[in-house]
Amino acid sequence: MNQLFRISALLAFLAVGVFQAQAQTVVIVNASVPSSTFSVEEVMDVYTLNKTHWDNGARVTVFDLKEGQAKRAFYEYIGMTEDDLQRIWLRKQFTGRARPPHSLSNETELVERVGKTPGGIGYASESAVRGKKNVRIIARLKGAP
Amino acid sequence: MTHAFGRTRVLCVIGAATLLITCANTQRLSAQSDEGLQIFGSMQTVFFHQESELTIEGEGLSPWSGTETRNSFAMQQLDLFLRKEMGDDFTAFVDLEFQLNYSSEARWGSLSLQEAWMNYHVSDAFNVKTGLLFPAFNRLNEIKNRLALLPYLFRPLIYERLLSQKFYAEDFVPEHAFIQLYGSIPIGDFFADYAVYTGNAEASYITRQDSRGGIETDINPNFEFLSGVDPTEFKLKLFGGRLGLRTRDENVAFGVSMTHDYNNLRDTTRYPSYTLSRSARQLLGSDAPRIRIGADLAFRHGPLFFETELIKVLYDYERAERLKLEIEQSFAHGMVGYDIFPALTAYVSVQWGDYTFGIDSDYYVYSFGSAYRVNDAITAKAQLIMYEEGYEEEGVTESAFSHDVTIKFVFLGFSILL
Repeated sequence: MNQLFRISALLAFLAVGVFQAQAQTVVIVNASVPSSTFSVEEVMDVYTLNKTHWDNGARVTVFDLKEGQAKRAFYEYIGMTEDDLQRIWLRKQFTGRARPPHSLSNETELVERVGKTPGGIGYASESAVRGKKNVRIIARLKGAP
Repeated sequence: MTHAFGRTRVLCVIGAATLLITCANTQRLSAQSDEGLQIFGSMQTVFFHQESELTIEGEGLSPWSGTETRNSFAMQQLDLFLRKEMGDDFTAFVDLEFQLNYSSEARWGSLSLQEAWMNYHVSDAFNVKTGLLFPAFNRLNEIKNRLALLPYLFRPLIYERLLSQKFYAEDFVPEHAFIQLYGSIPIGDFFADYAVYTGNAEASYITRQDSRGGIETDINPNFEFLSGVDPTEFKLKLFGGRLGLRTRDENVAFGVSMTHDYNNLRDTTRYPSYTLSRSARQLLGSDAPRIRIGADLAFRHGPLFFETELIKVLYDYERAERLKLEIEQSFAHGMVGYDIFPALTAYVSVQWGDYTFGIDSDYYVYSFGSAYRVNDAITAKAQLIMYEEGYEEEGVTESAFSHDVTIKFVFLGFSILL
């Protein structure tokens, strides 16, 4: 009985670990983007459209997801709510300062678009990024499931 | 001294223009293909109910009062925005605005080019914007006609175009500039924003077409060229700027702004007789140098938000000093709002305006309302407004006279993103 309990606990632990590995959210950029790592503040500056160009002068193109676990984890990571960002994006769009992010329905499409867009940035589950060419992971969300 | 100041301004303008041309020439347009022309916009439809009451009292006059009620539907405003990214560094932007059921056939409302500029991005810390543009002055000036960004239907007094016959926005804020250098610099958890700009003299100096097709100008009757050009010398142009600080998440922002230009006192149509004392009339027909100073603060904490701005217009005007005549304008606006739930916002606001030109005119507006976001593109808005104005000549009386107006407005409408 005791052994059965230990095996069950081990299986449960492994299952949680596998789930975590699958759902780890990462921030990705197009391979043309010069920097290799970003702080959370820098990622927030990009998503609040305060940073509109990369260090090599190329324009930033921001991708966002319409919904999903990765979106919730990412917004928590940068400490912003959807309403906060929508308000900021609308003000910047209507004053001509920046283009709001492209909002996409699924992670596969987002990863593909980031890979095809020079200066592109987005976020997705690590499993959706694995093996994809032309994208680079620049941040893993700490504390995210 | 005045000439030296004028020369400095000329040098500033020439320097800025040279910088722009140099920057433009040293950067080639990138061949990167962009997404072409972006077209978007907003419109606001309203129904308003208005009840006005006017009371006039004066020495030797029988008190008089009158009332008026008005109801109307209107397409209050429609803005079409065009934006185009040209390579990595250049962006063009156009704002075409239709006001109040615009129809050239019926001569209703107006169609105007509010903004048309090109932006050259050197870095996030340094941009050059040139063309017809809304300059940075407090937080509201750059979005004064972006009704979709505002929870209210009836804007603060000095910005509200429904009151444009009564309040000239340019008496308080710079309406347009023609070149602006600006940028944002990250400092710890903040961004420091700056902007400096220059542009034409105030609108009333600018030539316009008269009813017979000729050109009218207030400062040079022999100037016959084109309507819409500014024939003033450099010393009369607008110069200004803003310094601001905001948190990276943009939940707290504040700034100070200042401009220097001249008020065209030749344009007598702007001043109803009851707003001018006899001594003030002696100033008409001249250029009054003025400094507009502004301060703004906005913060948001969760569902609670607050915005305020103050504007003070000071005149450095010897003729007025000799006449011991006080001329100045002030404006203050504060709004507190709360997101009752994400789609529903409620707010209250208070405004005060002062226009002292010999006679002291005060304006108060109390307002409360709500905005309900039906979906991402449509917001239903409702607003109740109490507007009061009064005129009084302090001290003795050339015309001891008081005049009070009270207006209640109810506004209902929709703001729609296109």
